[in-house]
Amino acid sequence: MSFHLFPGFIGLSAAMFGIGAVGVLARRNPLVVFMSIELMLNAANLALVTYGRFTHTMDGQVFAIVVITVAASEVVVGLALITGVFRRGRRLDLDDLAELRE
Amino acid sequence: MTIGTGFATALAAVVLGLPLLGFLAISLVGGRLPRRLVRWLGPGVVLLAFVGVCVLLAATLMRPAADRSVTVVLWQWLQVGVRHWHGVAGTKGFSADFSVTLDPLALVMAAIITGVGGIIHVYSVGYMAADQGFNRFFAYMNLFVTSMLVLVLSANLVFLVIGWSMVAFTSYALIAFWHDRPAAVAAGRKAYITQVIGDLALVLAAFLIFTNLRGPSGRLLHTVSLPAIFANVGPGAHFHDGLGPTGGALVTLIGILLFIGAAAKSAQWPLHTWLPDAMEGPTPVSALIHAATMVTAGVYLVVRFHPVYQQAPIAAGAVAVVGIGTAWMAGVIGCTQYDIKRVIAYSTMSQIGLMIFAAGIGAYSAAIFHLLTHAFFKALLFLAAGNVIHALHDDQDVRVMGGLRRRMRLTYPAFLVGSLALAGIPIFAGWFSKEELLGSGLVLGPITPWLWVIGLSLNVLTSFYIFRVVWLAFHGTPRSPRAETAREAPRVMTAPVLVLAGLATVAGFLEVNFAGWRPINLFAAFLQPVVGAAHAHPQAAADLTALVVGTLLSLFGIGLATMVYRMGLIPADLVSRRAPWLYRLSLHKFYWDQIYDLGLTRPTLALARVLTRVVEPNIFDGAVRGVRDAVGALSQDFRSFQTGYFRGYATVFFAFAAIALLVLGLRLT
Repeated sequence: MSFHLFPGFIGLSAAMFGIGAVGVLARRNPLVVFMSIELMLNAANLALVTYGRFTHTMDGQVFAIVVITVAASEVVVGLALITGVFRRGRRLDLDDLAELRE
Repeated sequence: MTIGTGFATALAAVVLGLPLLGFLAISLVGGRLPRRLVRWLGPGVVLLAFVGVCVLLAATLMRPAADRSVTVVLWQWLQVGVRHWHGVAGTKGFSADFSVTLDPLALVMAAIITGVGGIIHVYSVGYMAADQGFNRFFAYMNLFVTSMLVLVLSANLVFLVIGWSMVAFTSYALIAFWHDRPAAVAAGRKAYITQVIGDLALVLAAFLIFTNLRGPSGRLLHTVSLPAIFANVGPGAHFHDGLGPTGGALVTLIGILLFIGAAAKSAQWPLHTWLPDAMEGPTPVSALIHAATMVTAGVYLVVRFHPVYQQAPIAAGAVAVVGIGTAWMAGVIGCTQYDIKRVIAYSTMSQIGLMIFAAGIGAYSAAIFHLLTHAFFKALLFLAAGNVIHALHDDQDVRVMGGLRRRMRLTYPAFLVGSLALAGIPIFAGWFSKEELLGSGLVLGPITPWLWVIGLSLNVLTSFYIFRVVWLAFHGTPRSPRAETAREAPRVMTAPVLVLAGLATVAGFLEVNFAGWRPINLFAAFLQPVVGAAHAHPQAAADLTALVVGTLLSLFGIGLATMVYRMGLIPADLVSRRAPWLYRLSLHKFYWDQIYDLGLTRPTLALARVLTRVVEPNIFDGAVRGVRDAVGALSQDFRSFQTGYFRGYATVFFAFAAIALLVLGLRLT
């Protein structure tokens, strides 16, 4: 793989991260927020793997696997929460969760 | 004609894939599949896989002996840190492929699994016909066959372990198949817990091999490929530091750990208590798992890892002693049990003990040959016993049977053939394999003649306990109304039994080379590429004295059983009156269940009680309560920061992250 692809990969990663961040901030549907978080995580993964590839180490790959593991567990917990909230109110809106404050 | 590697790869994938496909189809589509389809699908995929194994076997036989061991890669499963610079794989990193060994040993095992397994599947169609969980049963059975195939075909430690554990799980599912019977669920749990002990030992052994194995240059190999491991454990390698005549400590430890794994699978002392309880499962399960396949996996493991055991004489000796000890203990227990399936289960434990013994002393081909014939005659005994149990409406006690000879005209001769094969009567398969196995004891190893004597005395016990069942169940007069009205099983159940009876009669001749110079060596010659010439040809197999003595002892055992249970010349309660301790020891299975209960279960429960009553409420809950109170007191002032709006939090978080990045960037430039 030649070096001139490097900015492309990192740029794609940055773009994915940005789109994900905007999604997290702007959307009220927790499912979409979740997808955005996944997008950010995978942007990070892409960056990790890219750096690992271009520095000739396997640390990036290893770290990406750790991130995937964390993401999987996070989805399990998060989806369970969303299901619980949905069962209570029959509505999916993050702002409804403000009542958890008390 | 030789078959190319590409074709062998494809065929191996088909053999592995067919039972898996059966499992997926039956379990995913589940209840919507009509029974009529499952009835064909369940046995069909296994029998088709058997055809594939036969083609592979034929292809192997056509190759010259030197290149009969073929390893093919089905797919590359895991690659970490393997660098491909300009298309060349680097030397660092770790890779595990799903690769398959197609050598005589693996193919013989695969043929037993799919062949005997297929016959048992056909039998199950009849046996489970009235059961609610018909589809579920065949899904589990197909998954079990898949797991066993992964286990025996894998050329890779990782997939060996995966297959090993899958077998443990599916056996659990099948033993506890009737999940509304508490005894069956308990038996399944017991079997699974025992299996997990074995899994753990196997995994530890795999880790030890992985981290310590060195190549010829002294470099750590870090490989999980079985061929690479076996090529490097031999003498002259760097595997074991401090190698003396007894082998290094490390290789001995690995050998013993591997054997703990094997002992759990093969129901050897001290991990044997699950097997008799596992008889709570349906009878076809007992035939498939507890006679033909799963319990023989331990023997396979020891034989497969024989390069390790050849470097570790102490571990191999331990294997041999445990094997022969278990064989004897199970034989003694078998003489007093009344449950027909339990007698056969203890007989299995005993015969597997013999195989483990043979594998321990290095008679590998004898062990595998006995494994093959045992798969036939023991599956036959289980299935025939299943017919009897079916006819008596699920009663397994020999005391309520009697006189079934006249009512079950097909099952009786089949059971008799199985018993003769098990007892080791000439012409029948068991005779060839058992005498070869015991005869190898004479030549291999320094202390093994003594073990051979023990093994020979086992012949008396074996033929005694199995003919005790024959006389009690099939002869005499019916001892219950159910036995009086028993009816022969339907054809779908008698046909598999008769096929197995035929196999149990003629399979011994596989070893006989009619055209050859030395008469008893054909099967051994087939296995020779795997186990090596020295271990494939124990000369004493043809030792006439050993043969005659062994056969006479078997006949003596049958005679003894006849005199006690058929002719009444010797009172049946002779032992219980004269040596009550021996009788009780045998009846209560050497008290192992009680010993484990007192030594392990009760102390654990007592400890758990102390923990729940004292430690948990006071120490752990107290600590948690303390933290709660402290945090509550501290956090009163910070409550106003908590708005509850997720996007507010996220905005603050992102803002600070951006600021942090900015500061970092400024400092770097």
